[in-house]
Amino acid sequence: MAETNMLPVRQAFLIAYMTGVLWLRRNPMSLVFTAISPFSLLFVLFVISGGKYTDFAVAGSLVMALVGYGLALGQDISFYKTEYKIQDVFVASPVSPLTYMMGLALSELLFGLPALIALASLVMLFGGSVSSIPLLVATILLIWGSMSAMGFFLSSHMLHMRNATQVISFVNVILTILPPVFYPITFMPMELWPLAYAMPTTHASLMLQYIMGMDTLPEGWSLGFGFAVQVAYLIGFVALARTKAIWRES
Amino acid sequence: MLAIDAAGVSKVYKGAHQAALSEVSLKVEAGRIFTLLGRNGAGKTTFVRMCATQLMPTAGSINVLGYDVVRQAKQIRDLISIVPQEGRPLRALTSWDHIYNWLQIRGEGKQTARDKTEEILRKLELYEARNRPAMNLSGGMKQKILVAMAMATDAQLLFLDEPTIGLDPVSRRQVWSAINDWKAKGGSILLTTHYMDEAEMLSDYIVIIDKGKVITQGTIQELRRVIPQNIRVDIARDGLDIDALEPYGSVVDTGAGMLRVFTFESAVRELSELALGRNLAFTVSPVTLDDVFVYLVGGGIGDNQNGRD
Repeated sequence: MAETNMLPVRQAFLIAYMTGVLWLRRNPMSLVFTAISPFSLLFVLFVISGGKYTDFAVAGSLVMALVGYGLALGQDISFYKTEYKIQDVFVASPVSPLTYMMGLALSELLFGLPALIALASLVMLFGGSVSSIPLLVATILLIWGSMSAMGFFLSSHMLHMRNATQVISFVNVILTILPPVFYPITFMPMELWPLAYAMPTTHASLMLQYIMGMDTLPEGWSLGFGFAVQVAYLIGFVALARTKAIWRES
Repeated sequence: MLAIDAAGVSKVYKGAHQAALSEVSLKVEAGRIFTLLGRNGAGKTTFVRMCATQLMPTAGSINVLGYDVVRQAKQIRDLISIVPQEGRPLRALTSWDHIYNWLQIRGEGKQTARDKTEEILRKLELYEARNRPAMNLSGGMKQKILVAMAMATDAQLLFLDEPTIGLDPVSRRQVWSAINDWKAKGGSILLTTHYMDEAEMLSDYIVIIDKGKVITQGTIQELRRVIPQNIRVDIARDGLDIDALEPYGSVVDTGAGMLRVFTFESAVRELSELALGRNLAFTVSPVTLDDVFVYLVGGGIGDNQNGRD
């Protein structure tokens, strides 16, 4: 027998290599297509506000891109499960569900890399400092990780590709359009703030606003609070993916 | 040693009114090719998926290579490999990409993965096309990629769910050869197929499932004995009346302008003379697995003559 207690990390990178690197090598235009979409709302807000809300748009676009790449994992998983049946091959193998999820999540990240680099650069341009880079990276990883786990969990319960696409689009709107991700939380009635604070994306946007040195951070919100909520969501969604996602069908 | 030991296994899907499998008990000996035959929806894939730890049984117990599928799935997954029904390779990846990387994911080193990939690609005549993306390959070649992924591993038990579907006759024989090589190395195989010739060619033991229940099992020789007669004679119908043949055995209208008589060696001479006397084409052959299958689950023979046992 081959050595099967290899590090799951290597398995995850190999899955990412197969589904990401090899695909992109033969379909490089995918990078361009994936890179353009996160800039659509940035462009609209820039034009409509005459540049006034560009910093919000940058924060919002980065959060939206990360949510999109995380949840897109769910669409990929649905596709591999229902169309290719390739997930069956992985289930009946030494690959664990979390390793499979991690591999495909890395693959999604690869597709979004140009957009992420561009948006992260804009964050730095709009007031980020070298010392805030670790916080920027942490913010990116936290929201990407939790959204990937959520995408994996959701898709595992979807029997059809179309359902997965619909549900994921819906969740995307709930997480990035309705909460104060593209606009200041102060635009919301205060009664709705607790609801906004319940969204991980609100905190991701606020953390980016913090990094950019914007003076729009609400009273009562702190970096520690935002960080704690994000970590809690990451742990929660990974636990959900690990225990409640359907790997072996019942 | 048993590769699979299933006892009283049932499966009822959520929302279904009928069991997909009902009280199935099977023992698959290691180092043998074990074939499940059945019509579409008979429950073959359900059984395979439960054994391969992809689907939970509703009742009963299944041990695969000594491990329980419910409690010890992880141990089983290290030892098995599958070709899923209606699977497809990833369109942008080549056959080499699929197999080489899959072997590494399963824990092989790079050099071993390279050697094994080359070996299986050559065996299945995919080597020349190893650098072509799957989207540019024929349906048969795509199917062979999935077969190669499973057979390149050093798993102890292979689950092949209709592995030769869509393959041309030459490609099917290449897969058969690879399956026999696998067995020769001591591996075990659980195969499902609709092709009777494939089952006859490969199987050490056959189980026929219908409507979720095992209706018979045995070696090919044992199954052939399910039909009381051992010879079949196909005679061109061409004005011939079924009544004229019934004294010789069980008669079936094959629907292709031929009448099929299931009979014994002793009646073959008389039937030949009858056909020759009327200048009708005829063929004589032993009863095949196909006949047995139709006899048991198709109702074709039983509908027209003495009925099933």
